[in-house]
Amino acid sequence: MSFINYSSREINCKIVYYGPGLCGKTTNLQYIYRRTNPEQKGKLISLATETERTLFFDFLPLALGDIKGFRVRFHLYTVPGQVFYAASRKLILKGVDGVVFVADSQIERMEANMESFEDLKINLAEQGYELEKLPFTIQHNKRDLPNVAPVEQMNAILNPNGIQSFEAVAMTGQGVFETLKSVAKQVLFELKKHY
Amino acid sequence: MVIICPKCKVKLKVADEKIAPEGTRFKCPRCSTVLLVKRPTPKMKPLDLATVLVAHEKPSVMERIKSVLSTQGYRIIAVSDGITAMVNATKELPFLSLLSVSLPKIYGFEICRRLKSRPETKGMKVILIASIYDEKRYRREPESLHDADDYLEEHQIEEMLGQKINLLRGTPETARPSAPAPGTEGPRGQAPQPEDKARAEERPRPSLPEVKPSEAPEVEKARRLVRIILSDIYLYSKAKVDDSIRNGTFHKTFSSELREGLKLYENRISADIRSRGDFYNEAVNNFIEKRKKEIA
Repeated sequence: MSFINYSSREINCKIVYYGPGLCGKTTNLQYIYRRTNPEQKGKLISLATETERTLFFDFLPLALGDIKGFRVRFHLYTVPGQVFYAASRKLILKGVDGVVFVADSQIERMEANMESFEDLKINLAEQGYELEKLPFTIQHNKRDLPNVAPVEQMNAILNPNGIQSFEAVAMTGQGVFETLKSVAKQVLFELKKHY
Repeated sequence: MVIICPKCKVKLKVADEKIAPEGTRFKCPRCSTVLLVKRPTPKMKPLDLATVLVAHEKPSVMERIKSVLSTQGYRIIAVSDGITAMVNATKELPFLSLLSVSLPKIYGFEICRRLKSRPETKGMKVILIASIYDEKRYRREPESLHDADDYLEEHQIEEMLGQKINLLRGTPETARPSAPAPGTEGPRGQAPQPEDKARAEERPRPSLPEVKPSEAPEVEKARRLVRIILSDIYLYSKAKVDDSIRNGTFHKTFSSELREGLKLYENRISADIRSRGDFYNEAVNNFIEKRKKEIA
């Protein structure tokens, strides 16, 4: 649910980075933050408690142009990955316009990926969203590690609908902007349908 | 091959190589009737739905697989090398082959490819068994499944094998009362050939083993959730977890995480499944025991 700010003539969209614990959501966001022009971005805010942390920042990609005179500002969020912080994740998903699922490619984290993916679907459904109808992208992160599962196998589990997925090494930035661009494009496409 | 002209009943000999796959037209030399001659389609024996071929080079793993399969009532053909596996797969036509990836003589994935390319074994389900993960180090990593239907890691045999077999048989849930009767549907769900039906009538097929997974998928799901809760606690605070286990204060140190975890567990897992066992505390205790051993 995008939010329109008439005084600044901006459409605000919310993109949430979802995924299991330590899969690289924060690393994705930090990389995007570092590589974004300071004039285009807000502050990187960390809503951290002793045990869980959520990162947030907003930015205005100039290259995207505008929709009927309104500029589009993206708000990027991460969720706490530990499976037991389900309540925070649900809260952060409120009003989401697009989701990036960051999967950890390590074989021993496949179960955690599956659980997190189910958790995403449940939390979206509880708020009346359907994952299939939302702008959504999958990122297979940590491809540089030796113990990774084949992408085909990961897609078979996490991506049965065959949507576009990206291989990434968020630490070095590989695949980070490709993933963001993909979800942003889908969000804009949806916006243009409505405005 | 020999064909009989339907008009003048003369027997004609036609060289096999002269017959194109889509059929070839010949003129009967006696009555000049034009005949369309097609190659006979080879009669394929149906796969044996009660038999499973297990090919593994390690006797200990073989025993573990056998114990899972025998509880489900399957007849097991156990072999320990690739050549015997190939011979038995083509001769006995089991509906499922469990093949170790690194079988001696012919690799498991090689057998899988060969079986999937032969018409008579194309429909056979294959699960590759890869021992790629042994907690401390990683071994062979399958880049592709080599046409196999599924794959399994050695440490998952007890937990996942029954479930995977049921999935491949098209019975993901527990035994369904409406499941097709034995012999009416092949493992791939193809319609039975009339000849197959006739054969099935004259020779009673071995009865379908009762499809009984080692554990209901919901129970496995419950266990999985607790496993992930615990692995997340460990991932985020490895040193703290090990310290608390050494001091016997794990429950106290991580009381908040364990409480949140339990809340999620109770929220996600139905009361019916939870009543089947204390999966939560069972997993917590197992985790503590396992860590204790690792630390020692």
